[in-house]
Amino acid sequence: MKKLQGSAAAKVCAWIVLLAAAFGAGIFGVQAVLSVGSVIDDSWQGSSRYYSALNNRQGELMDGIDLSCQLALLETRIKEGNIDATLQADAEALREAREDVERRFSRQSTWFRFRVMNANTGEVMGSNLAEGESMLKAVRDVNRKTFRLENGSIYTDVYYYDPDTETGFSAPPTAQLNPEGETVQPIELVLEYGVPEKVNESIQDEFCQIWRMWNVDRAAFDQYLIGFLNLGALTLLALIWVLWTAGHKAGTEEIVTTWQEKIWFDLYTLVMIASVIFLASGTVWGAEQLYRSSASLYTVRSDNYAAFYKLGMMGDAALFTAGVGGGALLLRTLAVRIKAGTLAKTTLLCRVVAWTARTVHDFVRFLPFTWKMVLGFGAYVIFTFWLILVGRYDGVFMLMYFCLQLVLLLFLSWWAYGYHRLRQGTKTIARGDLEYQIDTKRMPYDLRLQAEDLNNISVGLSGAVEEKMKSERFKAELITNVSHDLKTPLTSIINYVNLLKSTEQSDPKAVEYIEVLDRKSQRLKKLTEDLVEASKASTGVLSVCREKIGMSQLIDQALAEWEEKLGDRRLTLVTNLPEGETWVYADGRHLWRVIDNLLSNCAKYAMEGTRVYLDLERGKGQVVLAVKNISREPLNVPAERLMERFVRGEESRSTEGSGLGLSIARSLTELQGGSFGLAVDGDLFKAMVTLPQAN
Amino acid sequence: MYTILICDDDRDIVSALDIYLTSEGYQTLKAYNGREALRASESHEIHLILMDIMMPELDGIRATAKLREGSNVPIILLTAKSEDTDKILGLNIGADDYITKPFNPLEVIARVKSQLRRYTALGGAEKGPGLITAGPIAMDDAAKVVTVDGEPISLTPIEYNILKLLLSHPGQVFSSAQIYEQVWNDPAYGSENTVAVHIRHLREKIEINPAEPRYLKVVWGLGYKIEKG
Repeated sequence: MKKLQGSAAAKVCAWIVLLAAAFGAGIFGVQAVLSVGSVIDDSWQGSSRYYSALNNRQGELMDGIDLSCQLALLETRIKEGNIDATLQADAEALREAREDVERRFSRQSTWFRFRVMNANTGEVMGSNLAEGESMLKAVRDVNRKTFRLENGSIYTDVYYYDPDTETGFSAPPTAQLNPEGETVQPIELVLEYGVPEKVNESIQDEFCQIWRMWNVDRAAFDQYLIGFLNLGALTLLALIWVLWTAGHKAGTEEIVTTWQEKIWFDLYTLVMIASVIFLASGTVWGAEQLYRSSASLYTVRSDNYAAFYKLGMMGDAALFTAGVGGGALLLRTLAVRIKAGTLAKTTLLCRVVAWTARTVHDFVRFLPFTWKMVLGFGAYVIFTFWLILVGRYDGVFMLMYFCLQLVLLLFLSWWAYGYHRLRQGTKTIARGDLEYQIDTKRMPYDLRLQAEDLNNISVGLSGAVEEKMKSERFKAELITNVSHDLKTPLTSIINYVNLLKSTEQSDPKAVEYIEVLDRKSQRLKKLTEDLVEASKASTGVLSVCREKIGMSQLIDQALAEWEEKLGDRRLTLVTNLPEGETWVYADGRHLWRVIDNLLSNCAKYAMEGTRVYLDLERGKGQVVLAVKNISREPLNVPAERLMERFVRGEESRSTEGSGLGLSIARSLTELQGGSFGLAVDGDLFKAMVTLPQAN
Repeated sequence: MYTILICDDDRDIVSALDIYLTSEGYQTLKAYNGREALRASESHEIHLILMDIMMPELDGIRATAKLREGSNVPIILLTAKSEDTDKILGLNIGADDYITKPFNPLEVIARVKSQLRRYTALGGAEKGPGLITAGPIAMDDAAKVVTVDGEPISLTPIEYNILKLLLSHPGQVFSSAQIYEQVWNDPAYGSENTVAVHIRHLREKIEINPAEPRYLKVVWGLGYKIEKG
């Protein structure tokens, strides 16, 4: 099917079929139109063809009467003794012409019947009726024509006056010819004429011709009509094919446009429609000519008329074909343009309208908002005022006024709804949902600008957040890898130091060295673990699972772990816990690490023989755990510095510990949504963990 | 004589482990990636595998999964990854235990012994009435004897009662106060601290590494429980 659509040969065939069918349809159509009258009329004498032939005959007869009058005048003058050779010759010529007329109007040569009568006296002056034949009986319809013959002396002059058209002389010229004032009554003549209903081939004249054609038309009309309809349908099919294949070409999926599609469509349409109208009227005119000519006396006598008629018919059909072709071309380019979607683009009117609309739209759009308001309001006020002014007397204008108010209400509602949506969206974004996009569909232009900007901000922000998440993941991976790379060699060190320890050493110094190695490798191990822990905690890659946990229970458990170790350092633990359980929202493992680190801190840095206080307080939705101890070394570092990584109370760094404990504790506390504070008062060291209380 | 397959891409670690395990009287096989481990397991009778996770060619997790398709030999994972998720993944995929690097050689040996005991001797421990078990821990309430991996351990009556309470409700978390009320049969008035200390001692007796308990777990801020299984 696709292949057929693009086939050039098929297209040419379609055009040939189209034009040929149109030509045939033209021939049949013209003949059908020409013969339709014959079918409608009951008598062959109903056609305009008949009337025109009848009028022609009547005119000829009138000429003949005129001729007779002139001849009579001449003969009178000759009788009066005016024997002039020239007059004689003229009279002779007139006589011959009259004979010719008489021959033509004789019963033997025509079906035309006539009778000329003196209206004044009723005397028959001339006729080709048979003896004793009544005019009324002889013909189908009797036509009458009345005219006058005016004479000065006798037949001085001949005029005829047509009362229907009132042309000719309104006043007889007798006054001029008879100065004496003798009035001469003009002779009123009546010409009665017509053609019998029943004619036959015995007398070949135009009426016989018309009668024959009428018969032929009546017989052939059905064929003409069927021929026209069939060929018309074929034309239509070919046209559909042409339109269907228009713009398609073998080897390409796209719609191919030609030079025709480059012409503005409206101009093309105008030219084409004008051509088609011209060709159509040409066809009608040609048909009329053929119709008329077919019934004149001349055609009856001409031998070549049949050929001429055929030629004329073909010419007319050619005009028709050209019209159809023009229409088809117009439809074809319309089809191609629609298929290619360029109809609006290639229509001058559309372009002009679109350009104007765009310009006005852009102008309004880029007008500053304030100006829009002022101009809009101004226009509204003026329009309203005008409507009220006119509407005082006119109900329609009053109705328009109310409609305007309704439109204004709708417009304001639209704006308000847009604003509401913008407000909701802004609220959502402000609440932290950066993914949220305000729906800008059908929002007023100015609000939409605002909404789009907000959307862009939120896109930018979520991009930044996304970026941060990515870097966090990267950090987490880095930490895992570094920790692996640090731990693997450390494993070997610890293991081989252990193996060394189990071997026999003859040199006591070697034993001492191995001891150092052992101690330091253990410290390295602790440091590495702390470092990884601190990195994880501070970058937030640790997963936090918060639940309701009991602080008293936790402290209890922590004490069980630390009591002995602290006891070894001669440190006494004093706990101050409120009555009952104190619940907080926290991640148990992380919170344990915080307390573990704080107690470990005490074990490392508290002065021996002192007390370590563990106070738990709750109130105002918060729970504060405070750990207090007396530092062994003077704390010459501000509290803030202590929380930094690798900072310890004493700068010598001779003691165990990585200096990461407090930093980890702070990070972990913050991860759980709490806060971590330190206070140094002389040698008193105080750490506070604040967490949200759970009910 | 048990054969242990040591698999790690760090040759020094493999040799060190080899020395420790040989000195304990085990036979060892060495592999330096997961593929070699799989090959070795096909050609030898192996009683236990020590398997590193991060290895070239075939990592420990995949190798474990492959091994588990046709064998239930104990596998202990050695991991430098201390992420909890890695441990959970390893255990779910079929490993029996894990040791985080840098490890203490004594802990490795203790865990190897524990796993071997469970794999060989305790394979089908008869379940008599009054015998409560969880993992390697078995309590014969009639004889008042507690064994871990078949080794009897001595407990004080209070420790015994606490362990019995936890063992009879595996997976359930008991707060210090609950334990106190149940074991001492007294209402708890701030004397729970004793419970925590008792449990610490109990843990030290049961667990190989009390700082990282596998069976008697501390649920921080809520209480204690015995792991199911």
